[in-house]
Amino acid sequence: MYWVSVITEAGIFAILALGLDVVWGWSGDFDLAFYGYLALGSYLTFVLSIGKPTPPVEYIIGWHLPVLLAIPLAVVVVVGLAAVIGAVALRNLREIYFAVTTLAAVSAVYLLVENYTPLFDGYNGVYGLINPGQTALNLTYNGYRIFLLFVVLFLLFLAYLLVQRLSRSPFGRLLRAIREDERAAAAYGRRVFFTKYRAYLLGAALAGLTGGLFAIFISAFNPSAWTPQELLVIYAAILVGGRGNPRGVIAGVFVVYIGFIELTRFLPSPASRPDFGPAMRQILIGLLIILMLRFRPQGIFRERPGVDRGPRPAAAEPAPAPEPGEAVR
Amino acid sequence: MSGALLEIDDLTKSFGGVSAVRHCTFSVDEGQVVGLIGPNGAGKSTVVDLVSGFGEPDSGSVTFAGVPLTGKRPDAISRLGLIRTFQTPREWRNLTVMDNVLLGRRKFARESLWRSLTAARRIRRDEELDRAVVRDILERFGLTELKNELAVRLSGGQKRLLEFARIAAAEPRLIIVDEPMGGVNPVLGSRIGEAVRQFATDGLTVIVVEHNLPFIEKTCDKVVVMDLGEVIAQGPFSGLRDNPRVVEAYLGMDQSHG
Repeated sequence: MYWVSVITEAGIFAILALGLDVVWGWSGDFDLAFYGYLALGSYLTFVLSIGKPTPPVEYIIGWHLPVLLAIPLAVVVVVGLAAVIGAVALRNLREIYFAVTTLAAVSAVYLLVENYTPLFDGYNGVYGLINPGQTALNLTYNGYRIFLLFVVLFLLFLAYLLVQRLSRSPFGRLLRAIREDERAAAAYGRRVFFTKYRAYLLGAALAGLTGGLFAIFISAFNPSAWTPQELLVIYAAILVGGRGNPRGVIAGVFVVYIGFIELTRFLPSPASRPDFGPAMRQILIGLLIILMLRFRPQGIFRERPGVDRGPRPAAAEPAPAPEPGEAVR
Repeated sequence: MSGALLEIDDLTKSFGGVSAVRHCTFSVDEGQVVGLIGPNGAGKSTVVDLVSGFGEPDSGSVTFAGVPLTGKRPDAISRLGLIRTFQTPREWRNLTVMDNVLLGRRKFARESLWRSLTAARRIRRDEELDRAVVRDILERFGLTELKNELAVRLSGGQKRLLEFARIAAAEPRLIIVDEPMGGVNPVLGSRIGEAVRQFATDGLTVIVVEHNLPFIEKTCDKVVVMDLGEVIAQGPFSGLRDNPRVVEAYLGMDQSHG
């Protein structure tokens, strides 16, 4: 069961990473608010589905919607918030200024959530969404966890198909052109902000969905256990797998999550220093990023530009050296 | 003035205390090739920026095909049919040569997020037609062999050619090229010169900012000379040799350099 839960978690994060890669890998915006969208999606899924709070616990809404309705609704609200943050931050800010602004935005949201208890019960967070639909599906606890794994993998597959299709489309190409040089894109008539904005909202929608799945998976969400810093691990995973390549991004998440987070769990943790393991994990992640950037900056799978197999010069193809796993196209 | 495609009227722009462009006025007729020359710092590139929306003038106006451009964003101006280049080539580095030129085609409707998902097959089919057009353009500019190469791997001169291929793909009404021969070897330079003249033969209107005077003389119907932010002379090249202000500001300096 341990591995079922590890793979489920990695699958959920892979969906998040696909969304983040649209924003960072394609359009080139280093967004640090992204984790906030996951958090909000998660919170909303809870408060829309777990019913009225019992004092002293307090939170907003407290509806009793089925999760299949709560998650889409949460996604809509998340996209709404992203529409506001994106409209402010994406319009004029670039690179480090954009990153800092989004970091400020997510920090502000986190502070609000932590300190304003009527919202999501502050530091305690919300909980109580335990295996929704288990009885209806007539599954045992373990059966349900396996069922959840397949749901997550199925959604990951759908997200992959969506992103992959966009990646090869003229929309994906335009986003990458904007990433490379947005002044040139504007000189060729492209609405830079508008295009980035759409990519941003798409990314936020995937993050909101991730939050909903997360709510089901861990059945509790609080601001101290799930901090925005978690996002750096996702960035590391994208970097390792291959920024801009959907398949690489998924591979990166599985490598980083299973290879690093999970395997380092078995590091010795002396009783006197119980934080040794987690701290070591952070160090190893940092080391991994540095080594990747030094030796293989394009990641395991590099971003693949479309190859024109036009009728004319069949012989004149200086095709880039094939990458492992690139045979399927 | 009604025949003018581009009218620049009393354009003024200063950065801080430095006035880069002062009361600049000239016009370009449809089908004309106009050279914009002047020593470094004369304000040529600033004029290009102001016309193409990459800068906002302090005062004055620009009218393109009867449409006032003041306050319009660069992308909106480009959609009216005005394409400009920058002093350094601005290729999309990690895209292939093919993709760079395909983006030049400016098929905006195809780039919708929603249609990319719902009409993928149709978009692919339409795109194939554009690829055929682009292959011809690449052939014309000698880039066929490099079409699947990332633009970042091209040499400086090849990047210039790519820039021109991209413009050709865009089929604009007015092209403004900013120092197209800067840092390019003579062989490639003459090729670029050919490309500019080809645009003119195809009926496009061209403004070319350039220091290469023999090229300007051979190519341009009209020359606008700027110095210290002002237009100091304009007219056919032959008439400028005798203009003492021009000789002093530019030609004289050029001669003294040999």
